[in-house]
Amino acid sequence: MFKKILIANRGEIAVRIMRTCKEMGIATVAVYSDADKHALHTLEGDEAVPLGPAEPSQSYLAIDRIIAAVQQTGAEAVHPGYGFLAENADFAERCEREGIVFIGPPAQVIRDLGNKITARRIMLQGRVPIIPGMLAAADDPAVWAAHAEQIGFPLLIKASAGGGGKGMRIVHDPAELAEARRGASREATAAFGDGTVYLEKFLPKCRHVEIQILADQKGHAIHLFERECSIQRRHQKIIEETPSPALTPSLRAAMGQAAVTAAQAAGYVNAGTVEFILDPDGNFYFLEVNTRLQVEHPITEMITGLDLVRHQIEIAAGRPLALTQDELSSRGHAIECRIYAEDPEQNFMPSPGRIAFFKEPTGPGVRNDSGVYAGFEVPVAYDPILSKLVVHAETREQAIRRMIRALQSYAVLGVRTPIDFLLDVLASAPFQAGETYTDFIARHFTKWSPDRDTLDLAAIAYVADTMAPKARPAGRAAQPPAHPDPWHTLNHWRL
Amino acid sequence: MDYKLKYNEEIITLAVEAVGDGLLSATMGYKKMEVAFERISENLLSLRVDGRKHLAYVAELPDGKAVMVDGRTFLLADDRATGTRPRSGGANGPKAVTAPMPAVVTQILVAQGQPVEKGQGLVVVSAMKMDTVLAAPYAGRVTRINVAEGQKVSPRQVLVDIEPAVVDAAEGRKEAIHG
Repeated sequence: MFKKILIANRGEIAVRIMRTCKEMGIATVAVYSDADKHALHTLEGDEAVPLGPAEPSQSYLAIDRIIAAVQQTGAEAVHPGYGFLAENADFAERCEREGIVFIGPPAQVIRDLGNKITARRIMLQGRVPIIPGMLAAADDPAVWAAHAEQIGFPLLIKASAGGGGKGMRIVHDPAELAEARRGASREATAAFGDGTVYLEKFLPKCRHVEIQILADQKGHAIHLFERECSIQRRHQKIIEETPSPALTPSLRAAMGQAAVTAAQAAGYVNAGTVEFILDPDGNFYFLEVNTRLQVEHPITEMITGLDLVRHQIEIAAGRPLALTQDELSSRGHAIECRIYAEDPEQNFMPSPGRIAFFKEPTGPGVRNDSGVYAGFEVPVAYDPILSKLVVHAETREQAIRRMIRALQSYAVLGVRTPIDFLLDVLASAPFQAGETYTDFIARHFTKWSPDRDTLDLAAIAYVADTMAPKARPAGRAAQPPAHPDPWHTLNHWRL
Repeated sequence: MDYKLKYNEEIITLAVEAVGDGLLSATMGYKKMEVAFERISENLLSLRVDGRKHLAYVAELPDGKAVMVDGRTFLLADDRATGTRPRSGGANGPKAVTAPMPAVVTQILVAQGQPVEKGQGLVVVSAMKMDTVLAAPYAGRVTRINVAEGQKVSPRQVLVDIEPAVVDAAEGRKEAIHG
C-alpha cells in the first residue's frame, strides 16, 4: 500500500479524500494556490505545497507544478478528486511516465471516454443504448443543419470535451442553431480548451440516473446501484438521491448490467460513473462516463456502507476487488444537497465572500462533507461549492424529513446559499411524490422567493440583536474584532 | 421606536416597544407580536414570538446583518445607515451595466455608437467558472465601452455607457445615464 498520497485538488473533496487516507495510515500532501493559503484542505494535509497564483491554470491545473510537488514530497500516488485535472488524460499520462500512480483509470480510457463523441461510438459497439445524434464532429453548417433536421427539434448542443453543463445549449428552432452553436463552442473552449460541440436529440421529460461502478485491474467490474440526479439548475445537479424513485428492481438490474458492459467495453479501471437519461417509458440511454470520483458519491457510500475512496486507493495499488455483485446490498435511502455559495434569488449567481458564521448540522444519519469554516474567504477563482449535506434514513420519506431538519439547523452567514430554496424543494409536493425530472426547477421553481413569515421573524431577530447587549468576555482576547477590510466590503457583492 | 430595515429593494418597518427586560412588542403592518429574547452568544439569540420558540443566528456583515431563522437566511440592513448602495435588479431593472462580482471580461458583443435593444447582450464576463452575459438595461445607443477583453473588473464598475433612446421627461433625465 502507498505510504503517501498527494491530493491534487482543493476544498471539500480534498478534505474528504484526506480523511480516508488518514484512516488507512497513508500520509497526505495538500497543494494550494495563493487564494487557498488558509483553506481547510491546506490546513488538514500532513504536508502542504504551494502551487502559485489563484488562477487555476497557474495552480490546480498546472501539471508541471503538481508533478514537481509529488516528486519533492516523495508521494507515490496522486488522487485528483473531481474537476481540475481529474479527467485530464495528459495529466494521467504524465503520471504514468513519471512513475507516479494516478488514482483513476488509465490515460487512454480517460481520453476515449472524455471525448463524448468517441464514447458514444464505443457504447454503440458495446450495444449500450445511446441518444440519437451526431457520431462525428463537423464544421460545416450545412452538415449541422442536415443533422438537425434528421434528428428533429428540440435539440441539445453538447461539448465533446464537456461536463458540468458547460458548453451546453438547448435549441428549439432552426434559427437559433448557429448562434447557440457559437455560444456553446465559446464556453467549451473557455472551460475545456476544446470548442468541439455536437448535436443530440433533446429529451425534455426525463430523469438523470447514473450508475456507480468499480472495476479492478484484472477486469472484474461491479456496479453499486444508481443515483438519481434530476434536480438541476443550469445543468448542474443540486439534489441527488438513491435509490431512484423511478427504478423497479428489474430496471435497476438492466441499467446496472448496461453500466458494467459500458465499463468493460471501455477497458475501465477504478471508480467511475455511467450516466444515463431515463425517459418516462423506462427507456434509458447512455449519456457519458465520468472517469473519476463523483461529487455525489457519498449517497452511494451511505446505502452500501462502502468507502469509495478506500476502494479507489486499493484498486490503484493493484489489489483485486474482493466484492462480488451478489454480496452487495442497498440499505435505506440517502439524499445529498449541494451547498454552494450562490444566490437562489438571483438565478443562482455565485456569491463569494467571507463566511462570518458557520454551524453545521449534526444528528442521526447526517453527514456534511465541508471544505470551509467560519472566517474563511470563499475565493472567486473556483467552483463555489462549500459543502455537501448528506442524510441517510430507512425510507425516502424519512430521508426527506431528515434532510429538512438538517437544513433548518445549518447556518452559513456571510455568503448566500441555496439552503432556504432547497428546503422549499424538499417540502414541495412534486419532490415528495418523486416527480423528479430534469426540468423540475424550471417547471416548479422559476418564481421562487424566500418565505415571508420567516422574514418577519428575521426582522424581529435583527431588532433583538440590536437591543440585547453583547457581553465581551473580560480579560480574554479570544474573539478578533469583526472589522472587515475594504476588500471584504468590495467582495460582498449583490446584484 | 421605529425600525426601518432594508431587505433587497424593500423596506420593512417595525414599530418596537421595549416592554421589560428581554421583552418587546413589535408591530409590522397589521401584525402585532409579543417577543421574549435572550442572547445566548455573540451569534445566537433565543426568541419566543407569540409563544413559539425560535433560535436566530446573527452575524454582522459589511453591509448589514445576516439573520438565520429556521434554516432561512436574510440579509437585513438598517435603512438609515445605508442608502448609498442601491441594489440593482429591482422592480425597474438594473440601471447600469456592472459585473455582479469580481470577474474577467471574456467577450464584448457591441461596438461604440451601436444602437442596442433592452435586454441585448453587451459584455460576457466570467467568474467562478461561469459565463454571464450582461444585458442592456434599457434601449439606447452605446456611447462608450470602458473595458477590454481579458480585463479584470470589480463589482459596481460600469462596463458600458448607454445613452437611453428616449429621454424620460417624467424623471427629468437629460444626459446619458451611465448604463
